[in-house]
Amino acid sequence: MSRIFVTGIGIVSPLGMGVLPNLNGLGMGLCGISTMQHTMSKYAEELPFGEVKIATDALCDLLQVNCKGVSRTSLLSLMAFREAILQSNVSTAQLQQHDTALIGATTVGGMCLIDELYENANKLSNNTDYIASYDASSVTLYLQNKYKIGGIINTFNTACSSSANAIMYGARLIKHGLANRAIVGGADSLSKFTINGFNALRIFSKQICTPFDANRMGLNLAEGAAYLVLEGEGTVGDKEILAELSGFSNTNDSFHPTALSAQGDGPFLAMQKALAIASLKPADIDFINTHGTGTENNDLAESVAMKRVFDSVPSFASTKSNTGHTLGAASAIEAVFSIFNIVHQELYPHLHFSKAIPETALIPVQTFQKRFIKHVMSNSFGFGGNCSSLIFSKV
Amino acid sequence: MLYIYQTSCISPQPFPLAINNFNTDITVAHHGIMVVEPDYADIPVNILRRMGKAVRMGVGAALPIIAAHRNIDGIVIGTANGSMEDSIKFLNQIVDYKEGMLTPTNFVQSTPNAVAAQLALLSENKLYNTTHVHRGLAFENALLDVMMLCADQPQSQFLLGGLDEISTYNHAIEYLGGWYKSDSIDTNKLYQSTSVGTIAGEGASMFLVGQNPSGAIAKVSAILSLHAEDMGEVADGLSRFLIANDIDPNAIDTLILGENGDIRFQHFYQNVARAFPLSNQLRYKHLCGEYTTASSFALSLASLLINCENVPSHLYKDNGKAKGTINNILLYNTFKGLQHSFIYVQSANDMAINAT
Repeated sequence: MSRIFVTGIGIVSPLGMGVLPNLNGLGMGLCGISTMQHTMSKYAEELPFGEVKIATDALCDLLQVNCKGVSRTSLLSLMAFREAILQSNVSTAQLQQHDTALIGATTVGGMCLIDELYENANKLSNNTDYIASYDASSVTLYLQNKYKIGGIINTFNTACSSSANAIMYGARLIKHGLANRAIVGGADSLSKFTINGFNALRIFSKQICTPFDANRMGLNLAEGAAYLVLEGEGTVGDKEILAELSGFSNTNDSFHPTALSAQGDGPFLAMQKALAIASLKPADIDFINTHGTGTENNDLAESVAMKRVFDSVPSFASTKSNTGHTLGAASAIEAVFSIFNIVHQELYPHLHFSKAIPETALIPVQTFQKRFIKHVMSNSFGFGGNCSSLIFSKV
Repeated sequence: MLYIYQTSCISPQPFPLAINNFNTDITVAHHGIMVVEPDYADIPVNILRRMGKAVRMGVGAALPIIAAHRNIDGIVIGTANGSMEDSIKFLNQIVDYKEGMLTPTNFVQSTPNAVAAQLALLSENKLYNTTHVHRGLAFENALLDVMMLCADQPQSQFLLGGLDEISTYNHAIEYLGGWYKSDSIDTNKLYQSTSVGTIAGEGASMFLVGQNPSGAIAKVSAILSLHAEDMGEVADGLSRFLIANDIDPNAIDTLILGENGDIRFQHFYQNVARAFPLSNQLRYKHLCGEYTTASSFALSLASLLINCENVPSHLYKDNGKAKGTINNILLYNTFKGLQHSFIYVQSANDMAINAT
């Protein structure tokens, strides 16, 4: 079966719009989490959020698109998608071919359009501008329609691991000969829907999140988008290869709808299976971009699972200390960060850490380091027990 | 290729779905037909109480399969919206109580992966688990996902499913969009309708699938999904599908068309049917209504029809044709004229195929 190469990346996150501000932000140890200005919520002043620092109208102007009927999630998605295809030099004609797949992922979809959805769903308005823009697939279909992408099109929602499944599905389509290139990723925007949902579950930190810290208080919700261009051996030609997607896995923790098991069974199996697919030993992994949300439950379960997989846990960090938790976009954003580790042969400082979790005593990388990096693992675990692990490798 | 061993379908039809027990005289209430829910005796009461209809019927349809097959190798679900009811209930609380202190139950139940997650919990399954939400092709992508999994793991068996519900809320949005008929119409007059719009439907169809022919009731030989606005592109997709899978159009004895009574999309079905002049034409949306994952109902129906000789006449588009045994079925469906799929279903018994 074909090897899978990454030939383009695009990203929008609380660290900035585009590859460069994100790369510089990580390198300089910047944190994009702050008070929220562009999404209305009574929690905007009370809680920190990882916001993409641009109003939706301004985003439309910047992208030079007609805003009517388009959600913020779709706009963030478009921005990351454009950057990815530009870097990989995928032509308009290639996008329209039957061998180009587009696989997206989102949890919020168009449900950032709270007022419009409230009025339409409760028959309070006859405005039809947004009625096709509320569901998750609207985000992927916006791109498909804009570029007339000709191959297999799909959208995933497996909560916080959604875009890892999009990445895997695209890779598997190429391996099975059902596509030659797949543009894969995800997007989510801040929404009163998820803000109030996570608040009701009492998993927000009132301060900036401190993943893997003994005194962690919870997560910060965030928004963003990222896409990767994946190509098979037969298609990649002489393009610059950023990294190889060498391993991937999907497992279920089968423990609780909104919490991981104490032994981290789902995360353990996800890491173990990704290693098996990549034909790697645990000791081959140079760095782990953890799920590391900053919640009591996730960080302990993930630490326990890492200790089960690795005799000696490799260097690790949570970039959610830079961005907050971007939900359905998180796996794709962190895939891009993992590719930065490989392309630039460097590790970035994990922020806001002071004291290790007593049960597991794991300490993340807290300094900028130039280092030989061959294999990076990236974890994502979601509600519903949906766990996944990706491995990117230097070619 | 994929073999189907068992199906379980909760729909507006009597449960379990059976060829000799269709209800063709369903009351259309508020432009839609609702599922007939079984008593869900197998779902623990404390869990059942928290479930909205989408989760309840998804889990309820799957339980007979996973109860009999504890060691399945994964759970793959297609649902465009999951529990829309829970989503909007939670949204309404946010707006009506101005983001006051809310209980998380509706939020947790609202995520479309709640069905696959609940099934993993109930069956203690830690293996592959995913949820496809790509609107009118959510089930088709779930099916393609499982076909790839089975090709990689030939000894494995998976639970595959498609489900979507009508809630008050998505009904309101779709009605505003002009997707449902404004005039009242009986299901048995659906195909005579000359107006725009269709009848809303809902359902949950679950399948036990794998790569081993032993014990199979049908097999899915090929699938193609595409996004297209005009018939030329759909015809091009159909040609590619037939050539890539080496399918002789004359070997297809039966077409199952997703006609839904909306005159705007009738030309797609007529044009596709024209490519198969020798095939009998069947329809099914008078039994289940129209919904995003209705093609999962069509696959349940196709599984029951394979090798069946006494097909009820209401399924046939043209009652006058010779009927014969059904061995090779092509399903064609379009969702809103933008998303299209072809699914090729054959007898699991290769001898039967060779005899045709």
